Amino acid sequence: MYQAIDLSFRVRDRIILQNVNLTIRPGEFTAVVGPNGAGKSTLLKSLAYENTNFRGQVIINGTSTSSYTPKSLSRVRAVLPQSTTVPFAFTAEQIVHLGRYTHRSTHIVNRAIVQEVMERTSTFSLKDQAYSTLSGGEKQRVQLARVLAQVWEETVHPRYILLDEPTSSMDIAQQQQMFALAKSVCSRNIGVMAIVHDLNQAVQFADQLYFLRDGKITAAGEAKDVFTKTNIEETFCCRVNVYHDPCNNCPYVITERTDTVPASIHHLKLKTSSL
Amino acid sequence: MNLSLTVRDTRHALVLTALSLVLVITVLVSLTVGAVTIPVGDVIIILLQKIGLFSQLQVDSMHEVVLTTIRFPRVVMTLLVGGALGVSGAALQGLFRNPLVEPGLIGVSGGSAAAVVLMIVFGSGFFLSTDNLLYDAIIPIVSFGGGALATFMVLGLGKQSGKTNIAVLVLTGVAINALAGSVIGLSVFYADENQLRTFTFWTLGDLGGATPGKLLITAPLLLGSMAALLVQSRSLNAIALGEAEAYHMGVNVERTKRIIVLSSALAVGVSVSLAGIIGFIGLVIPHLIRVVFHADQRLVLPASVLGGAWLLIIADVIARTIVAPAELPIGVMTGLIGAPFFIMLLMKAKLKNEI
Repeated sequence: MYQAIDLSFRVRDRIILQNVNLTIRPGEFTAVVGPNGAGKSTLLKSLAYENTNFRGQVIINGTSTSSYTPKSLSRVRAVLPQSTTVPFAFTAEQIVHLGRYTHRSTHIVNRAIVQEVMERTSTFSLKDQAYSTLSGGEKQRVQLARVLAQVWEETVHPRYILLDEPTSSMDIAQQQQMFALAKSVCSRNIGVMAIVHDLNQAVQFADQLYFLRDGKITAAGEAKDVFTKTNIEETFCCRVNVYHDPCNNCPYVITERTDTVPASIHHLKLKTSSL
Repeated sequence: MNLSLTVRDTRHALVLTALSLVLVITVLVSLTVGAVTIPVGDVIIILLQKIGLFSQLQVDSMHEVVLTTIRFPRVVMTLLVGGALGVSGAALQGLFRNPLVEPGLIGVSGGSAAAVVLMIVFGSGFFLSTDNLLYDAIIPIVSFGGGALATFMVLGLGKQSGKTNIAVLVLTGVAINALAGSVIGLSVFYADENQLRTFTFWTLGDLGGATPGKLLITAPLLLGSMAALLVQSRSLNAIALGEAEAYHMGVNVERTKRIIVLSSALAVGVSVSLAGIIGFIGLVIPHLIRVVFHADQRLVLPASVLGGAWLLIIADVIARTIVAPAELPIGVMTGLIGAPFFIMLLMKAKLKNEI
């Protein structure tokens, strides 16, 4: 299990995270949703132990992250950032190979794993292309392949992947593919945690769903149970309706149309026009 | 698939072997050129005799003296300095994730130069003679200290919320270099005729001052720092994706950073103390390797050692033959080759909106 226990983080006086408790179980897809600025990325960075200045604890497989070395940590968790730029001309395959950085396995094993994850992410045909020439969606899939390569081997302990809005530069077909893939790797004793922007996709794929607002968990539980009108409205401050989609046997959300521009935006417009 | 990567590894070895061969040939040729022309055959025989072979063969004794006391130390120093500058440039570019970084830009050479000039002008009082071994030993240390200090200032000031901001970094580098320039100017103001002359030629770069004694002290430092940089090539590959990403993949980023900055400062500082400021090798060579071959740091770093050594040997041969019996300062030569190349890189980066 991958647990955040009583996680709090503040920058000077600003509270970014407040007493967050979160559990990622191997074999499950855990999604975190919330409005912009809710602290989702900070939560992910704290879980990844990239941000270390938090109060509280992050525990992976029974051991606190503070007791891990960068190397031993990389064997149990991999992270997919929102976007990655590479200043030098690496090929897609070289990028995926980097996922095997700390693994002292043989070339043959590494190559087999790289090929397998590239095939799974449908990036194998891109392997000799320069990374910088790929489209946004292709880059993201290559990065996912790298992340998978890092935790692909079956080990005695469960492994985890943390995805920060993995579908931000993808069309809807690619988004579905990405989430289906993330979900399918759960069967390899991998726990998946993803920050998801699209609520409907979150509820379609997630086993556990966390709502985050102003650094606090506002609701959490089995995805289909907590996906309610009240939870969504309270988290996002937006009028919505939740319906049931019989085709997916899954709830979905639609925003209620409003014709009144919120006061704050009016205010902003006035300010800029007076400049 | 299994084959393609084996092929890639073999290709690394092939490229490095080919570069080594070219370097060996260039070195042999460079040993023949100079005020006295020594045939290649004699060069090889003398070299072999040094390791105890062919001792029965007779060669011109003047050739032997010229080769062993003048040209050979000079060539070894040129190789070491060129290699050190090349690999430092490659490692720093990799660390800062920017192909336009060179040791000069982040203050290493400026800091080293300022420290050495202070030493030449104000430090001579501490030593009875500037020709003793202690003086030779202190200069590289002072030079390294100055380089390391400047680099850490640039690196520290260029940080923004824990991450290196390249724009701030380069601007800080400019500021630190300006500061170093002022320190140098101030020292020049107080320098006497003799010190001024020594210093002016020293800043332009001079490979002529090599002595076996100097090499004995500096070679281990240069070789050591080069080795320390070469070991980081895998980590640098990971850092190409970003510092956070490298950390996620298991790289101890802070340690890698410290090793690279310290080793580069040592390599460049010692090089500056030996041969003055030699620009552009650290910028041009890694870039050339990346363009001609590919960006895998496991190739770029060792190939930059060979390439840097090669370019400096060539530049040195041209510098000491083109106006023979006089010698052009080496800094002039590398600048002549490097500056147009740097402008070309800038133009290319501009077109691609990389700046």
